[in-house]
Amino acid sequence: MSWLDRFLAGLLWLLGVVFVAGIVHLVAIFTLPGLEANDAFGRLSKLAKPASLTLLPSPRPGAQNMPFEDPALAQGVCLFDLSQRALRLHGDVDADRLLTLSFRTPAGQVFYSMTDRGAQHGKIDVLLLSPEQLETLEAEADDEDEPPQELRLLSPTRQGIIFISALASLPSERAEAEERIKAISCEAEEAPQE
Amino acid sequence: MATFFKFLLVGAIGSVLGLALTFVTIQRGTGFSAVKAGPWVAYPKIGAGDVDPYARAMLAHSGEMALGASEGLSFVARRDSTGAALDPDCDYTLTGQPPKARYWTLTLLSPAGFLVANAAQRHGFTSSQILRGSDGGFEIALSRHARPGNWLPIGEDGKFILVLRLYDTELSAATVALDATNLPRLVKGACR
Repeated sequence: MSWLDRFLAGLLWLLGVVFVAGIVHLVAIFTLPGLEANDAFGRLSKLAKPASLTLLPSPRPGAQNMPFEDPALAQGVCLFDLSQRALRLHGDVDADRLLTLSFRTPAGQVFYSMTDRGAQHGKIDVLLLSPEQLETLEAEADDEDEPPQELRLLSPTRQGIIFISALASLPSERAEAEERIKAISCEAEEAPQE
Repeated sequence: MATFFKFLLVGAIGSVLGLALTFVTIQRGTGFSAVKAGPWVAYPKIGAGDVDPYARAMLAHSGEMALGASEGLSFVARRDSTGAALDPDCDYTLTGQPPKARYWTLTLLSPAGFLVANAAQRHGFTSSQILRGSDGGFEIALSRHARPGNWLPIGEDGKFILVLRLYDTELSAATVALDATNLPRLVKGACR
């Protein structure tokens, strides 16, 4: 074998290594999120009941609900499961104070977010629906002309998480921020009356 | 037979390299959608639900709840304005004009995203808490030792990072024309 043959053969094996490494890397990146045994929904299930608002304890060193929390926020969480009934989130907001909402998949990815500025006449009213529930609702409302008062939101996943955050601008305002979170209610929607 | 072993070797080395590469990319926290401005790094696309597979893997690994696009934008500084890694034995000053947001907060965390215990029990500032200069600008002193004015204790635990969150900001994934001058500068002071 000439030196060129050896060189080319070596190069081929090296290419093989790079190819395998690339495949393994891509497969790992794509499968890792599914392999993380305890996703956000699973972890929060230990703190919160489904379809009810739970105020999360304020983060302290060594006692945090999740990494990268903002200690200046008071946070409430509402877990939802749309397999039986839709979920309604409603309440009054104080227009001058920061309140943010984020609607997330079980893994914690945001599919919709809003702030208190999205409130209509000082009220937040969101109806979270699965595709089938939205279809049913729209079929029923066929004969009515008036547009729905609430914001109808389609959830891409059956289960998920809603975070409600209120900013305590000063440490002394934390209790007040927690009150603003408690002013929002989160409950399974009653089945429509036949 | 030798060829078979060579194939086996290629498979083994390739797998190890691939997994090592995955580990390093996730630990270093760099994704395709990163936006850099001075020392600050943000992932504006994550909040809009437009997540690349790298960002998704990193979020799943860290358990972080990234801000939604309408909620705001968060920036992380793991380095100072010259690009040097943050050293807990040094003092730093963070100076700038208030960022363009309705409210903002600055938090000091460990590199993994946890609060750092300190005697003053102060972990950050909100835009309302900051003492401002006559030109509206602010200066925050980061040090292990008490400082006059806006003092943010570094704590004794070791390495730290800074997180700047802009709530209800006009800056968004679409309009991010992130000019480093819009965000505060982080300059190293004395070390001991």
